[in-house]
Amino acid sequence: MRVILTLVRKDIANFLRNRPAVVITFLVPIALIYIFGFVFGLNGKDNGPTGIRLGVVNESASPAAQKLVDALKGEKTFRVISVDYTAKPEHPLTEADARRLIHDREFNFALVIPSDFIPDRGLGLRLKILSDPRNEIETQTVNGLLQKTIFSNVPQLLGQSLQASAKRFLGDERTKKFNADLAGAVTSAFGGDAEETRQTIESGGIGAVLGGDSATANTQPKADFFSRLVKIENVQIAGKDVKSPAATRVVGGWAMMFLLFAVSAGSAAFFDEKNAGLFQRLLSAPVRRSQLLWSRFVYGILLGLVQLTTLFCAGRLLYGIDVFGHFGNLVVVCTAAAAACAAFGMFIAAFSPNAQAANGLSTFLVLTMSATGGAWFPIGLMPEFMQRIAKFTLVYWSMEGFSRVLWAGNSLVELLPTVGILLAIAAGVMAVAIWRFNRGAVFD
Amino acid sequence: MLITRDLVKRYGPQLALDGVSLDIGRGEFFGLLGPNGAGKSTFMSLVAGLRPPDAGSLTLDGVAVTTADPSTRTALGLVPQSIALFEDLSAEQNLRVFGELYGLRGALLRERIDEALEAVQLADRRRDQVKKFSGGMQRRLNLVVSLLHRPKLLLCDEPTVGIDPQSRNAIFDFLEARNREGLTIIYSTHYMEEATRLCSRIGIIDHGRIHALGTLEELLTRLPFADEIAFPATPFTAEFAARLAEHGELTTADGEHLFRSRPEFKTSAFYALAEECQLPARLFVTRRPTLEALFLHLTGRTLRE
Ligand SMILES: Nc1ncnc2c1ncn2[C@@H]1O[C@H](COP(=O)(O)OP(=O)(O)O)[C@@H](O)[C@H]1O
Ligand SMILES: [Mg+2]
Repeated sequence: MRVILTLVRKDIANFLRNRPAVVITFLVPIALIYIFGFVFGLNGKDNGPTGIRLGVVNESASPAAQKLVDALKGEKTFRVISVDYTAKPEHPLTEADARRLIHDREFNFALVIPSDFIPDRGLGLRLKILSDPRNEIETQTVNGLLQKTIFSNVPQLLGQSLQASAKRFLGDERTKKFNADLAGAVTSAFGGDAEETRQTIESGGIGAVLGGDSATANTQPKADFFSRLVKIENVQIAGKDVKSPAATRVVGGWAMMFLLFAVSAGSAAFFDEKNAGLFQRLLSAPVRRSQLLWSRFVYGILLGLVQLTTLFCAGRLLYGIDVFGHFGNLVVVCTAAAAACAAFGMFIAAFSPNAQAANGLSTFLVLTMSATGGAWFPIGLMPEFMQRIAKFTLVYWSMEGFSRVLWAGNSLVELLPTVGILLAIAAGVMAVAIWRFNRGAVFD
Repeated sequence: MLITRDLVKRYGPQLALDGVSLDIGRGEFFGLLGPNGAGKSTFMSLVAGLRPPDAGSLTLDGVAVTTADPSTRTALGLVPQSIALFEDLSAEQNLRVFGELYGLRGALLRERIDEALEAVQLADRRRDQVKKFSGGMQRRLNLVVSLLHRPKLLLCDEPTVGIDPQSRNAIFDFLEARNREGLTIIYSTHYMEEATRLCSRIGIIDHGRIHALGTLEELLTRLPFADEIAFPATPFTAEFAARLAEHGELTTADGEHLFRSRPEFKTSAFYALAEECQLPARLFVTRRPTLEALFLHLTGRTLRE
């Protein structure tokens, strides 16, 4: 027993001396749990995602349509965009605008309320959802939330549709009579003031009268009923021709994770060379420090490029992802992503005192960057400030590049901004790494 | 060939070199003898241009050595104290990498590689990974990698640490042969036997200072005694040892007393005292003094400390 206790004490002392291990054991999980919490709505009283950007095109003159827009604006889940803010002067969004903005990645979803929102013939409502479903989870979540919002307002909307039909079939006078009779029947069955009920019915509130208070009532059974009355047309703006959508959506995130881990292993190897005195031997030859660093960087890019290409080809073989249809553009994005990752590896090596610390730091950064950057779950579901942070990660931009190529089939010109950002990240991170190398003790 | 003047190097508050001035001539086999932490590796790294000195000057063939200009480094080869090889690569691949860094190409490079592998008896293991080599084989390769480009000056930083006697002798023979061919060598070690066997001139270094400089003979004449007398350290000799202490230096190690007399204390007086203490003459062994003794005399410490 004594022996075991002594050995255990040794292990604890060892562990506490190894700061990177402590960080990985405690700090990394806490940071990740915090991020998960945002996505799954565990933080505080809030639940569910907020601020998902949603384009809303209202082509209908009906007051009911305006009510629906207002209801959507009232949902904290959505940030409703109803004007084309990219145009000067700004003007209300049209369907064409929405399609263009989705294509330009300003938002992934738009609700179109067409002019025949309440059709002349027949009972029901027509709506159109434009989407770029590049992320499965996000698409399902948004569709679900959109339906919930629409259906919880449907009784109101439907009532108007009903009144419109009634007028058409019965004429004004007879409609009035019908409404009064209906109000009488309703009040005698459920109680309440007959005149007030008649007015509610006339203003289209028949749903409210029949279904109770729509805001608080359980919407689930009604949704089943109303979904037959509401015609929602789904129009996919991007990725229609993608051969294996499910695999195409996830492949980028996975590829980035593995690339980052490969790169971090490389930065730990940097220290093996340093410790073996290899740096001394290399630098005693006609080799400059800067050449030593740049050779590592170039190697990192090559490794990343080969790894990514291999992973995508595996995706082609296993899941039929259309890799060869966009091969040239894919290689361009892979090169830019590999450059950013290689610079990231240099950064870790520059700021770590030894291989152990490099491993700890890279595990921490790879996991948090993958989580915030959207490799694990859609960043659209994160709070807005997290989405802003995401745009500072190379994971986000690499994945953006991959999905632009594989999902949206962007042309080389369309890819340039994303590739440019990745290369700028590579240059910036590499500059900091070199600055640090030159001041640090790596070469001593 | 190599001239250093008042070299000073600090690591933070730690003074690693404290005014080292040396002139090393063409064709010399110069030994730098000192214990761990004396500053040997630091001196080598300054000469190799890996670090700048904090003060002092350093010229190789009249050209100042700087960290900035790597082109001057083709004139020298550094054998680092640690085994600085790519251990996942084969012996041949290692040689190829370093040969190419020194600008060797094609047939010439192949020729030099064959020669090098032959010279350290590794030709039959050329395609094996270095990590599968014994310590001695790695040391031999570590040495020969630095000579591919035929430098004029070779810096060997403790090249025989942790090695079997056979490999050690192979390295000695190899270095002596290169030195005879005209290679200038600076060889650092904490083994006085190595300095004694190999070096034409020796500098004794401790705490970053050169305490003595010269050929083996010159150095040993600096000792105030001619011989060392060894005898067993037992209870029977305890009284004798105590009485000897006032006549010279007495050290004890490994169950043995080692006595170095003052010049005025003659050998006859020594034996008279032994007889007084009833110790027979056969207990005593007379030895030539060693560099170890000189080091102890100069610094009050032993080389193994
Ligand atoms: N990179 C370094 N950083 C700090 N101190 C060092 C470094 N290298 C050597 N030293 C210190 O400088 C002194 C001389 O070291 P070194 O030149 O390696 O001696 P030697 O090679 O003779 O054993 C020692 O006290 C050592 O601790
Ligand atoms: Mg040393």
